[in-house]
Amino acid sequence: MNDGPVSTFQFLGLTFSTANIVSASVVFVLVVAIVFFASRHLAMKPSKGQNFLEWLIDFTNGILKGSIPAKEIGGFGLYGFTLFIFLLLSNELGLFINLALPNGATIVRSPTSDPITTLTFSLMTLMLAQFAGISKLGYKTHFRNYLKPFKVWIVISIFEEFTNFLTLGLRIFGVIFSGEMLLGIIWNLAASHGIATMIVAVPLEMAWQGFSAFLGAIQAFVFVTLSSVYISQKLEVEE
Amino acid sequence: MLSHLVVGAGLYFGDSIFYVVCFLLLMWIVKVLAWKPVTKMMQDRADKISNDIDSAENSRNEAADLVQKRQTALANSRSEAQTIVNDAKTNGQQQREQIVTQAQADAQTLKQNAQKDIEQERQDALVNARNDVADLSIEIASKIIQRELKADDQKALIDSYIEGLGKQHES
Repeated sequence: MNDGPVSTFQFLGLTFSTANIVSASVVFVLVVAIVFFASRHLAMKPSKGQNFLEWLIDFTNGILKGSIPAKEIGGFGLYGFTLFIFLLLSNELGLFINLALPNGATIVRSPTSDPITTLTFSLMTLMLAQFAGISKLGYKTHFRNYLKPFKVWIVISIFEEFTNFLTLGLRIFGVIFSGEMLLGIIWNLAASHGIATMIVAVPLEMAWQGFSAFLGAIQAFVFVTLSSVYISQKLEVEE
Repeated sequence: MLSHLVVGAGLYFGDSIFYVVCFLLLMWIVKVLAWKPVTKMMQDRADKISNDIDSAENSRNEAADLVQKRQTALANSRSEAQTIVNDAKTNGQQQREQIVTQAQADAQTLKQNAQKDIEQERQDALVNARNDVADLSIEIASKIIQRELKADDQKALIDSYIEGLGKQHES
């Protein structure tokens, strides 16, 4: 929830939002912890943690293989894996932990419920797609793709890049933000008239929490899927 | 409530940089901690499985070869045994025939010897009888006709009779 005042601070002339920095750090630490503890005692016969990691790696590789040819996946596998696990934990974090400072400013929530986060990842994916396209096809072929099927198409191509950037980032933001907002509204309802509303609202809150957890996982999946689609589009020569 | 979402008013571009740095750092950590070792392990496992499949295939082929060889050996030994039995049979047959022939020859020889002996005996008996008959007839004749006859003349006479008798019998 981004309700009430927003806590910010200045550093090197840039404005930072405390909530985003703290939440991202929490997710960062969580991801590192999960990956660290799951990857202990690697063996040919996988144990619990290794099984989980291998399943996750297979899962994200499977998403990438859906659109990128297997021989060109290479480093995108790591990108997809990290992106997926980071976004998944980001989406779910706010559902279970929502801390606020005494003055009402939120301090820990889903990092993905702020558009700056999701647009950053979206921009990162599109930059990676451009970079991959140039490194595979060369500058000439890559930028000639914008002129196909005919030269005037360049307007639509550039506009498409812009809309890709916005839709990719805002889709995940919208779902997570609305989920958290609705959680807050239901909670306010629960607290409004004592025990009576509490009985009605708590099951509703739990149901919505479960649904949001599901949506968060779906959105992380969709984000990685679309990322791989955008990257794969830049890897081939258009006719 | 949505005031911070208005572009320009509240987008904290510092966050953007922080996220990019954070994410790149995270990617590096994940790569070092998990991605490299786990994917290497997965690759190793895939290699091991494909090796195992190959070696299983080899073992199967080897086993099939061994079975083939064993069956050939079995067939060989069977035919060998057959040959041995046949040889033994032929040998036995030959030996039997040899023994029988030998026995027949022996029997033939024995029979001939026996016949010779018998002939000899007969001749002897005939000679004895001739002498006895000659003596007897001399005595009888001297007694009957009271005539002195020289024994030798008498004997010649008897011999001529007997000769005549023998010729009659033989013819």
